[in-house]
Formats: sequence, structure tokens, C-alpha cells
Amino acid sequence: MDPFLYLDRDTWVHRLDPRTKMFLLIGAFVLAFLFVNPLYGIGVLAIVLAFGAAAKSLVNLERIWFILLMIAVMTVILWTVFGSGETPLFWFVEREALLYAIGAALRIDIMIVAGMIFLSTTRNEEIATGLVKLGIPYRFAFAVSTALRLVPTIAATGSTIGQAQRSRGLDLESGNIIQRVRKNTPLLIPVFVSTIRSTNVFSMALESKGFGAARERTYFLRLAMGRRDAVVLLVFALVLVTAVALRLMGYGGVEGFSR
Amino acid sequence: MWRHTQMVVLVALSAAIYAAVLIPFKGFTIIPGFTEVRPANVFPFVFGLLFGPAGAWGAAIGNLIGDFFGTLGPGSIAGFIGNFFLGFLPYKMWGSFFRRGENMEQNVNSGKKLAIYIAITILASVVCAIWIAWFNDLIGFVPFAALASIITVNNAIAGIVLGPILLLVLYPRVKRWGLLWTEIMAPDEVPDSRYQRLGNLLMWVGGLGALIVGLVLGLGLYEQGFAAAGFAPGSGGATGVAIGLALIPFLVLIVIASFLLGGREQVEAAEEEMATDTGTTR
Amino acid sequence: MEYASWGEEDLRIVVPAVSIKDLAYTYRGQKEPALDGVSLDVAEGEFVVVMGHSGAGKSTLCTSLNGLIPHFFRGRMQGEVRIEGRSTREGKVGEFAKDVGLVFQDFEAQLFSTNVALEVAFGPENFQVEREEMVRRVESVLSQVRLEGFEDRQPATLSGGQKQRLAIASVLAMEPRILCLDEPTTDLDPVGKLGIFEIAEDLKNRDDVTLIVVEHETEETLDADRIVVLRDGRIAADQPAREVLREVELLEESSVMPLGIARFFREKGVGNEQLPLTPEEGIKEFEARGWRVSPERHRELVEADEGREASYGEPLIEVEGLSHRYPNGVVALEGVDLEVRRGEFLAVLGQNGSGKTTLVKHFNGLLEPTEGSVRVDGEETAKQGIQVLGQRVGYVFQNPDHQIFSDTVFDEVSFGPKVRELREDEVRERVEEALAAVGLGGRGDEDPFGLTKGERQRVAVASVLAVRPEVLILDEPTTGLDYAEQRSMMDLVRHLNEAGSTIIAVTHTMWVVAEYAHRAAVMKDCRMALSGTVREVFVRDEELRDAYLRPPHIVSMGNSLGHTVLSVEELLRVTEGG
Repeated sequence: MDPFLYLDRDTWVHRLDPRTKMFLLIGAFVLAFLFVNPLYGIGVLAIVLAFGAAAKSLVNLERIWFILLMIAVMTVILWTVFGSGETPLFWFVEREALLYAIGAALRIDIMIVAGMIFLSTTRNEEIATGLVKLGIPYRFAFAVSTALRLVPTIAATGSTIGQAQRSRGLDLESGNIIQRVRKNTPLLIPVFVSTIRSTNVFSMALESKGFGAARERTYFLRLAMGRRDAVVLLVFALVLVTAVALRLMGYGGVEGFSR
Repeated sequence: MWRHTQMVVLVALSAAIYAAVLIPFKGFTIIPGFTEVRPANVFPFVFGLLFGPAGAWGAAIGNLIGDFFGTLGPGSIAGFIGNFFLGFLPYKMWGSFFRRGENMEQNVNSGKKLAIYIAITILASVVCAIWIAWFNDLIGFVPFAALASIITVNNAIAGIVLGPILLLVLYPRVKRWGLLWTEIMAPDEVPDSRYQRLGNLLMWVGGLGALIVGLVLGLGLYEQGFAAAGFAPGSGGATGVAIGLALIPFLVLIVIASFLLGGREQVEAAEEEMATDTGTTR
Repeated sequence: MEYASWGEEDLRIVVPAVSIKDLAYTYRGQKEPALDGVSLDVAEGEFVVVMGHSGAGKSTLCTSLNGLIPHFFRGRMQGEVRIEGRSTREGKVGEFAKDVGLVFQDFEAQLFSTNVALEVAFGPENFQVEREEMVRRVESVLSQVRLEGFEDRQPATLSGGQKQRLAIASVLAMEPRILCLDEPTTDLDPVGKLGIFEIAEDLKNRDDVTLIVVEHETEETLDADRIVVLRDGRIAADQPAREVLREVELLEESSVMPLGIARFFREKGVGNEQLPLTPEEGIKEFEARGWRVSPERHRELVEADEGREASYGEPLIEVEGLSHRYPNGVVALEGVDLEVRRGEFLAVLGQNGSGKTTLVKHFNGLLEPTEGSVRVDGEETAKQGIQVLGQRVGYVFQNPDHQIFSDTVFDEVSFGPKVRELREDEVRERVEEALAAVGLGGRGDEDPFGLTKGERQRVAVASVLAVRPEVLILDEPTTGLDYAEQRSMMDLVRHLNEAGSTIIAVTHTMWVVAEYAHRAAVMKDCRMALSGTVREVFVRDEELRDAYLRPPHIVSMGNSLGHTVLSVEELLRVTEGG
């Protein structure tokens, strides 16, 4: 089972340097954040989805649509309740609050879709190397990268442990909430023990391969920003500047909303 | 701490365990994408107590990686910071409740230790919740009051119900494997504990203060929205930015407190114990 | 000066690759030393195999070769280890990594990267090797371990055998002159093991690599130059391979399984120096001495089998046309038929991925058939569910650490009965009964994590027995145990079978199947390839080989003599003459 979203396709997006993609991601967050009004939000959504189509990543929407839906629903409900506006619609709901709520839901979902596209087009090792090239200390990036490698394995172990304990009669469904939480002990402890137990072997294996032997190290994975990256960054920067200008000029907000 | 291979590995393993255990619950949520019913939330407390800084980083990275399975967004930054504190507080604050010479091993095997553990768990849950809820409210995602309460309760329940049993069973094993942070790290790697009592106090003030103020502001404004008839809109004056600004002083206190809390006393206590153990030194 | 006239060759003979003098080591917190005065020289290009019981000091010896001892562990070291003349006391572990490559038994715990090429490049990166050179090494090394083309794969998607080969590759990439493999095949299935042996063969044939391998499988050590047997931290034997393999008594005393052929001839009184070691040699010697297998006595064995078959009770588990497809579309089982009767001892064989584990997981309700039916005690498993079935069919998983979560052995074993809400005195009775049955009576207060692997495995068995199931499924019960512990575990299982439990053991340890199981079912490519009594199945050499299984040497020898025997004792019984 592969919990990660990466899709191995050959698109120009995939071929961008991971650092470029990180900047694009953050830029997408800013873009989504700028516009509170759902009408503008839809525009941003269109841009993001177009990008995702170019990256052939939209198939991953199948995996996260449920989360997107739940978030949208909860966000709409929360802001409608907690926010207030000028024109009452029904019950305690005001038009501005509803608009804002929908806008907020859109913003969140856009950002998550952007995140999904990023992950669908960037390999784990590119993320780790990208971080190093951006100045994150090597050992930190190493810990992140190793954790990424281990997650599927530990998840599989967790699944086996679940099977083993269920075979002994563990029943996670029954009981009140405190009891059900408690019943996770036979799952959490073996996961912890069987994984942490290997810490010393891991550490020995690392040192046996020269980890920490020298101050500097070379890198197998080569990252190079090319012309394509420069073009993409430039175009996107223009889009961002335009968006910020629009917002400053007063477009994209929701009048009469407060919270 | 990064110079110790074992600590680097512990960061990776804690992160991986935390992320892995979050997978099954990804779709099973209270406020989806922000918080979930997860017994796995006990791990940051356990990691923090047993693995110290490695546990705190592990909790932060683990939560971030968990976001890689579907919910990567700006909220992930807040999640990173919040979960870092979730592991950081138990690690740092534990020692500040004991006097020199008292047994401060991280196993919850006495009434006093249980009480301290519960207190720290609640405070850590609050601080974690504050960071996440403050950030998310600031960028207009989720109202502070809702998120802060839910995250606090979620983490605290998992921590209090599962923590003591887990620590009781896991502490002796981790110790036997030589993986307690207090035995791996040297005293000079951890700040000394001159101001730890002050740090302890400031953390409580910062954490609880932020929570109370945030809730009051958040709920107060909400009540106005409810009373539709007769109230002019926006008469409360404050908008969401108010919460954002109002909490900043408390957040600053929390950060200051983090630097004041020591940690060295725990390492020194462990060293004394090791020396009497077999006569072998590091 | 005389030295000036010595050529490089002469110097090589003078300085051994590895030179260990009076090495003794005690880990921190332990009272007993792990190694107690070991002296050993290994010349360049030699292939040395190290054998011994659990706790004899084999892993300690390996970690002392690259400086992990004394630099990583906290403990006391005496004596000296020199690698090509340089003492391991000086310098850091990382520095020795260029000269000594160490591969550990746990293949999961030595791979950190998210892709194969990076994993192999990790070592060279640490030594600041230039990128072009790294690319060349990655390609070269991957082909040496037969993983060409795997550069972009994620390690998590590889099989156990492939992961272990990757681990070896990642070490070879640093081009060490000495390679030490610590039990590289222990957790692997037959295909995986085969892969490792092939690589070891290639490495051995290279003059520039000194190979030190810790190994359990005696039948694979025939190619070594030398065998070193460790016992209780000391060297019990250090001689050319074939000489050591002839020391049957010494091997047994050191808890190492002797070669079946050698043991057979020894029991017949043949002197140590003349003992044949392989089936081919065994047959030659057998015929040269004019011995023959008595058909009448062999008939007795077969009749005993038949008698036992007749004594089984009614069918407990009935499988008809069973097929299983996982949610992601992968087919795990196709059209399997099987019947397990009360009192049987069935072994389910096959390599990883053949479907053997998927098959038995249907018996306690963990999995439900996508097609076909599985009935336990006459009722469909799908109707009963895992809670009810767990009462009748107990499943002991392979790794006891995937189950143990309690503070005391008692608490651990009482989990099953407590979940079923039995009364307190009933629970206590069950636990004590179960602990006694596995030979851990009276140890309820102990810490399960402090027990040895074999003891933890027994705790796992006890915790399943406490529910008093009729059928006991054991998943790889002998993995990770040394010979003495394996015998001990299987004797326990046989005892349980004789006391009335129906046993289903999933395993690929062939001698265990031969000596303990009554019936065997061989899985291959999701189908049942063979089934019958063990004797019936083990005569089908070719089909077993197709399923990547090899009968033990003594069985092969019997087959070549025309009569299938399942153990040294059986062959002794049916042999006439001498």
C-alpha cells in the first residue's frame, strides 16, 4: 500500500525543480488567501485545476474528495454560525456570513488541492533534497526523508499488529469513548516497541556507512533550475502581483461581514 | 542533539510512527482536515518525555508528513509548530516540578508523578491548540473558539487516558535499550535550569491566558451575531484580527518561557544514576 | 634493509585482513561477557563462516570489526582488533566503513532512503565521492546484486530478499575490502535465501574481497574456506569447513545443527575423518559399504503413516474452491481445496507471495473468501466472524513483538480470557495452564520484554492457548531461533498435537516439516500445487524445486536410494548392514 500521493508521470510540471514547485505552492496559498469573495475564489480554483490537469494529477482527487467535502461543509457551517452580516437570510443566517463561509471553504479547498498537486508531482527525495538546497541542515532533512521512507513499512506493521490482536479477541468497536480509546493500548504499544527497538540497529547501520565521518558530503541527486523554471516563476510572479493589486483596489472582499 | 546518531534516528522513527498511525484515521474526523479523533495523539507526549528534543521534532515532522497524505496546506505550518510544542512541553517542563536529588525518571509510577503528568498534558494540549487555532483564525479558516477547544480536548483525552499506561510499560524498555534522551545527551547540550521555575510560571500564564482571552473574544463576538434582532451589526467593533493581535503577547510569553525552561537538571540526574549503576561512564 | 626486497605480495601475507587478539567485551549493564577471549586471523580473500547458538557472541564479533565496538556501545573492551593492521580503538566508526562493510540481519532497519539509487549512493555520499563516480558505482553494484533497473523503486515495495540484497549493495558501494554479513538470510523465504547465496558465491570468487558470514543454515556452509564455531563467547572450533562439518558432536554441543548426512554416518559408527557431507557423497559411501534399505522396514514406516491418517477425527476445516482477491485487485488465492481433520499436524509450505499466509488467515476469520467457501466446524466462517472463530482457531503470528504489550507475562497471557469475560479464578486457571504447557510455568511475574526471543515466542503461544482453541495456527514458528530453540519450540508443538490440538504450521523450514508435520500442502503462485502426507510430498523433488523448496539432504538421499525417509532416525531404522 502506498499512502503517498506521488504519481509517476512525465509532464513539464514534474520536470520543474522542486524548489520552483515549493514557491508555486506557497504562491498558490497566497493567491487563495487573497480573495475572500467566492466568485473570485472560483477563478483561483480554475487556475489551480488547470495546473493540475497539465500535471495529470487530478486523478488523485478521487483519494481526497471526501476530506475536501467534509472540510467545506464544516467550514460553511462554522462561519455561518460564528460570523455576522448585514442582510439576514433565514434564522440567524446572514447573507454576508454565508458568502464569506462559502469563500472560506473554497480557499481552504483550493489550498489543499494545490498541496495535492505539489505532492503528486514531487518525489519524496526531491522534497528532501530541495529542502537541503534551500538551507535546511542536512541532518534535519535526513530525518524527514528517512521518516518518509519508513511510513509505509510501519503502517504495514501496524496493520499486522491489528490483525494479530483482533485474532486474540480485541474488539475496538464496543464501549464508551474512554473505553474505546483505552483499547488502543494493545495496538500502540507493539507499534512503538517493534519500531523503536530497531533504533540501535539503524544507528549502527548509519555509522557503518560513514554517517558523520566527514564534515561535508556530496549529493547524488542533482538539482538545477533551468529556463523552464525561470519562465514559470516569472509568469506566476506576474499573476500574483496582479492579484495583490486587484485586492488592494478593493475587489474580492465581502462587504458587511464581521466576526 | 543532532550530533548524536541515535537522536537523529529517534526523530525519524518518532515522526514515522506518528504519521503512520494517523493514516487510518485520516477520513474519520471532527473538524475534517484540522483535527481528528485519534488515540495516536498520545504519542507526542510519550515521545517528548522519553526522547526529549528528538521527540518534539518527531511529533512536528510526523504531523507534517501526516498532512502529506491528503491535507497539505498553510494549516500544516501551524500543525508543525503546535505539535512541536505538544512534545516540547513534556520534555522541558517535567524536570521543573522536582527538586534536586528527587527521582525524576519519566515513568509515571507515583501519585505525584501522575498529577504532574496530567498537568503538563493539559497545558501542552492548550499550547498546541493555541498555536494552531490562532494561526487558522488569523488567516480566516476556522474560528478560534471552535478549533482551540476541540484540539485541547482531543489531545488531552488521548494523553491522559493512554499516557500513563504507555509510559509505565515503555519506560523500562526504552531505558534498557539506552535510548532515554537524558542518557544520550550531555549536560552541556541542554540549557541550564536557573530560570526554570520562572519559565514554568510564564508558560502557564501564556498558555492559559491565551486560551481564556481567545475564547472570551471569540465567543463574545459570536454571541453578538446570534442576537439578530435590534443589534447593529459590527457594533462590537472588533473583527477577527482582534483575536490575532490580542493573543500575540501570550504567544511571546510562551516563546520566552521555552527558552527559560532548563532541562539540564534531568540529564545530570540521569548521569548520577548511570555512574552508580555499573561504574562505567560515557 | 631486508624489507626493501619484499614485494607487495609478501607484505599481504604478513598483514592479515582481520586480526583479533584476546578480544573480550562486556556490554554495559550486563554481568556476563559477550565475548570472552577470542583470537582469530582472517587472511585477505578468505571466506569464513561463523556459527553458534543465540547469545554466543556472533553479532558482537561482527560489530567489533568496524569499530562499533568499542565506539558505539558503552561497555568494557579488552584485547585488540586490527583491520589491515590498524586498531579499531583508534578512529571513529565512520572511518572504518571504507574498509569494512557490515550488513545486519534486520533488512528493514538498515535502509533509509526513499529510492533504491539513493540508498546505494548514501555511503559514497558520506565519503564525498564525486557524482560521476557515484553514478557508475550505483549501476555496477546494483547489477552485482541482481537488482539492475531498480534505481527508481521505493524500498518499501521490495520483497524481503530484494531488501537484503539492496542492503548488501549499499555497503558494496563503498568498495570495502572486507565484507561481513550478520545472518543475512534468517528472515527470508527460500527464494530470498537463494538470492543471497548466489551473491555470496559471486563475492567469494572475487579475490579482492574478504568475506565473513554468520550463518545458521549448515547445508549452505560447504563452500566456505573455514568455519569458526563460537560457544559462550569463546571459539570452540576454527578449522577448514569440511573438517568442522565432520565434528558432529561438537556442532551439536554448540547448538548448531549438524549435517544430516554426516550425522547419519556417525550414528552408524563411521569415524569422523571419513564422514560424507553431501547426499551424493552419502550415496557413494552407502553403496560402497554394501548397505541397503530394507523394503519391509520402510513399509512399516508407511503403514505407521497410514495408521495415523486413519486415526484423525472429523473434518474441522473444509475449504472448497477458495479464491481471494484483495481490494486493490491483486489475486492472492485461486481455486484452493483443502480439508483439515481433527488431530492433524499440517504444514503449509511455499515462498512469500504464494498465498500460504492468505490461505490460513481465512481459517480464523481475518479474511473472507471472495469466491468459494471456508467452513470451520461445519459453519461458514463468514457467518461466524473473527470473535467467535478466535475461540476455536488460535493464530500465533510470526513476530511475538507484534503482540506483546503488557507489563507482566501473566497480564499478557490473560488478555484473551479477560476479553472473553471469564471469571477471575477461571482466568487464573487458564493462564497457569497455558504457561505450564509452554514450559514457562511459574514465570507469570516476569517482564515479557526481558525474555529471549524464543521465550517471547512461547509467551505468544501461551496467550493463544489460554483461550483453549481446538486448532492452533503457527506462522513461521522457528524464524530467528537457533537450532536448540527451534527443536525446543517444535517439541512443544508436537506435544500439544499429541495432547489433542490440531496444528497448522506455515513454514518454509524443510527439516521441521519433515520431522514434525504429518501432512503437507505446498502453495505456488496462489494455487495449491501439492498435498498429501509429508512422505508423499517430499518424494516429488521436481515439483518442490518448482516451488523453490528443497527437501533436506537426508530426504534427498533417501529419495535417491528409492525410499523416502524423513529424518536421520528413520534412515537408521530402515538401513540394513553395517
